[in-house]
Amino acid sequence: MSRSARLMFFAAAAAALAATLGVGLSGLPSFGSQISAYARMLNELAPAQRHVTDVVSAISFDYRGIDTLFEEFILLSAVTGISVLLRPLSDESRQLPEDKAPDRTIPPPSPAVWLLAVFLGSLLVLTGIETVTHGQLTPGGGFQGGVIVASAVYVAYLGTNYVTVERFQPGALLEATDGVGASGYVVIGLLGLLAGADFLSNVVGLGGTGNLISGGTIPLLNLVVGVEVAGGFAILASEFLDQTAVIRTRRR
Amino acid sequence: MSVLAYGVVAWLFLIGIYGVVSSRNLIHLVVCLSVSQSATDILLLEIGYRAGGHAPVFVDLPAHPGPAVDAVMQALALTDVVIGAAVTGLLLALAVQVHKRAGTLDPDKLRATRD
Amino acid sequence: MDLVSASAVIPASVVVPLGGAALMAGFSGLLPRWVRDVIATAVAVATVTLTLILMVASAGRPMIYWFSGWRPARGMTIGVDYAVGPLGAGMASLAGLLVCAALVYCWRYFDSARGRYHSLVLIFLAASVDFCLTGDLFNLFVAFELVAVTAFSLTGYNAGHPAPLQGAINFAVTNSLGGMTVLMGVGFLYARTGSLNLAQIGQELAGRRPDGLVVVAFALLAGGFLIKAAVVPFHFWLPDAYGSAPIPVCVLFAGVLSELGLFGLIRVWDTVFSGLAGGPTPRMRAVLLGLGIATALVGAVMALAQTQLKRMLAFVTMSHLGIYLIGVGLLTSLGLAGASLLVIGDALAKSALFLGVGAVQHQRRTVSELKLRGRGRGLAVTGVTIAVGALVLADLPPFVSSDGHALLVSAADQAGLPWLEIVIALTVVLSSGAVLRAAGRIWLGWGAAESPSPDVGTADDSGDEAEDQPDTTGRVPLTMMLPPLALLAIGLGLGLAPGLAAQAAAAAASFSDRAGYAAAVLGTPGGGTPASGPVVAAASHAVSASGLLTDLGQVAVALCVAAVALDRRTVRLRRALAAGTGWLRRLHSGLVGDQVTWLVAGLALLAALGGVALR
Repeated sequence: MSRSARLMFFAAAAAALAATLGVGLSGLPSFGSQISAYARMLNELAPAQRHVTDVVSAISFDYRGIDTLFEEFILLSAVTGISVLLRPLSDESRQLPEDKAPDRTIPPPSPAVWLLAVFLGSLLVLTGIETVTHGQLTPGGGFQGGVIVASAVYVAYLGTNYVTVERFQPGALLEATDGVGASGYVVIGLLGLLAGADFLSNVVGLGGTGNLISGGTIPLLNLVVGVEVAGGFAILASEFLDQTAVIRTRRR
Repeated sequence: MSVLAYGVVAWLFLIGIYGVVSSRNLIHLVVCLSVSQSATDILLLEIGYRAGGHAPVFVDLPAHPGPAVDAVMQALALTDVVIGAAVTGLLLALAVQVHKRAGTLDPDKLRATRD
Repeated sequence: MDLVSASAVIPASVVVPLGGAALMAGFSGLLPRWVRDVIATAVAVATVTLTLILMVASAGRPMIYWFSGWRPARGMTIGVDYAVGPLGAGMASLAGLLVCAALVYCWRYFDSARGRYHSLVLIFLAASVDFCLTGDLFNLFVAFELVAVTAFSLTGYNAGHPAPLQGAINFAVTNSLGGMTVLMGVGFLYARTGSLNLAQIGQELAGRRPDGLVVVAFALLAGGFLIKAAVVPFHFWLPDAYGSAPIPVCVLFAGVLSELGLFGLIRVWDTVFSGLAGGPTPRMRAVLLGLGIATALVGAVMALAQTQLKRMLAFVTMSHLGIYLIGVGLLTSLGLAGASLLVIGDALAKSALFLGVGAVQHQRRTVSELKLRGRGRGLAVTGVTIAVGALVLADLPPFVSSDGHALLVSAADQAGLPWLEIVIALTVVLSSGAVLRAAGRIWLGWGAAESPSPDVGTADDSGDEAEDQPDTTGRVPLTMMLPPLALLAIGLGLGLAPGLAAQAAAAAASFSDRAGYAAAVLGTPGGGTPASGPVVAAASHAVSASGLLTDLGQVAVALCVAAVALDRRTVRLRRALAAGTGWLRRLHSGLVGDQVTWLVAGLALLAALGGVALR
């Protein structure tokens, strides 16, 4: 289709779809009027049953824990897939960026930038760990905290350069953390089976509500998910940076 | 209020798709796709909203806290955010490779699969 | 099989492939290649075994398994359940079998990217199993997305060529929009019914007339699944993706991926929407049949127009998806049983075809039908495999697809639509004829060396590496020659097995029984075993009385189509046909903007048709 034909066709189709969505949306209960009985029941029961204060974590990692297992694997398969798509191919090689003007001195990185990177990076790692470990108490959890930890890698790259950052990205170790995180979730789920209950049952001691160690398997699952997400995003940083900085196609 | 709240969902979804359809740059296309994705997240969160409700976190609450909003929808929205991030990452990786191999980022100039 | 041991088998069927995939992703760099191959294949074989056990054990009544131990309370479902039935478990077993074939084929000759390929394929398998077994609508969505995400990466695997990259982009953009519409549908249903469990939602909606919200929810859910199932007009991504993915990945896609879309559609219909008041079934049948017929015919015509073998097989796959939609869209147990047997039989045949093409590509370095003219010498076994595969797709008896065809025709007769048999026959002879034409050109050297329509586009870039290397001399490796033959043999064996049609009919009857399903999940009394007697009897009768002549007739006409296509004297006819269908071919431009526009139009159309059908 020519571009103008496509846009005209799209305009008509989008108008029709807008009308459809309008019909559907108008059937929804008025905004803010009610929540489902299912949600009300969980808000009532979760703190008492699971000794957690953040009900969303309880739902993610206990009541509907199997969904989160597959969600974790979506992230794992995306990271694996991106590694596959960005892998050095047969006609490419890795070459460190070369100095195009070797007779001129490179200005050293600004101390202010370096200091900011160190400060921000440490802050991110600490905040990330806090978010991961406090998932059962306050909003947060493995996914959110893992991303925060991984963003420290990006800050390190921005504050220094590729060569420095590459030292913090040992490929095999990051892959191993990714694999450990994903299989860790499966193993914790199997604990339930071993204890004679169903898969992913919460069979570890529940602890006291409001304590750091509470919720049984919920903080453990948060931890493994955090490890997996942090490792996964660090791998992504390494893959994309490799593509921009070092992978070069050999001229045929 | 309902019209505005739910109208935003339809608007974002369709304007994101318009961006995809009219895009001349793959990176722009990927971002437009994530705009549409956010429409679905907003829909879930709005379905779960309760006027005057507080977050489903039962710590440090005032004396008469009132109802909490729907925690299930928030968990679902969280999952959807992760899915969106995964797909965005994959599409960006594809865009990087397309730029190298096909020499262009314009989706309308890609001619490798057609009849 | 007693319930205690079965209850660990159910979670094991996803835990085994997930655990295997996680270990592969994390540690396979440390293992030698052959260890990775063995472990991955063993995990896949174990998964197939588990799902087969489930298929047998769930034959009478669905087996329900609640994760994390959360059983329904206060009349509401709290946790996520698996509702295992023989149809779902059978589909999961098929997925596992094809994954085994795809993994064995990859031994030694495939760049497995240090084990990441094995990991992605095992995750694909786990997600397919989850999709087929789950009883929770949101879990269905998550499995849908996981299948999609692994499929996107596997499509773009040969990232050094533009065709797989473009195919992967088209696939990813259209299918993630499909995922978004599914999620919106899930949200709408949750807002109306307050539950995410298929059985509970169905119970809440049953007996009521649907309003705009429910109609739009159906359109969004069905739209997402139909996008995955590559039904017209959501199908434009399929030839781009299937035509440029690596061969073992095409095996998975052709046999499992789009069929899962149809499975999702009928699953959601049977558990959620089939109980709506107002008797929507006959009108919905008309809608689905229309879409199925369009898909089947477009796929068949486009298959004939292709000269790139993988893209041709992609359109052949699409045409058969249209036939399955016809079977599923009849909305009867007999039709569903017929579609299931066809899915199994055709998946085996299509996989054999793709693997055969892969062997040719490995030895001759190209998949262009024109460039391969006459170069089939020395690849005799592969040639026989491809010819037999094409004939099996044309319902060659006694392979299992001919049983499925018999059930489907009988179901169409029962529904008062005997002319569907002609549509199916036309689709099948055209698509198999295209493959047979290619086989004749490659192995017998018949036909011209150029295509009758010089404006045909790509023809060559199939995304496979090493196109500029010389031909491989020597025989096809055993790991490439044996899996397709094994798959065809399994198809023959299943076709000869007695009582398969009856079992399929019983499985379909149990799948379609909404009230019984809801009772089993929610633990309420009632339901019991569905009245499957008449369906089973009809199925057995259909298979035994099946027209051997009509099946052989189809095969013969397919061969004639191929012969006509290769005969130099028909060149004017072929040029006229090519000119007449040029508009259809030009629509398949491979541009993602066009495909998304069709997608939006299709969703609006589906909503309109759904509104008419459901109210």
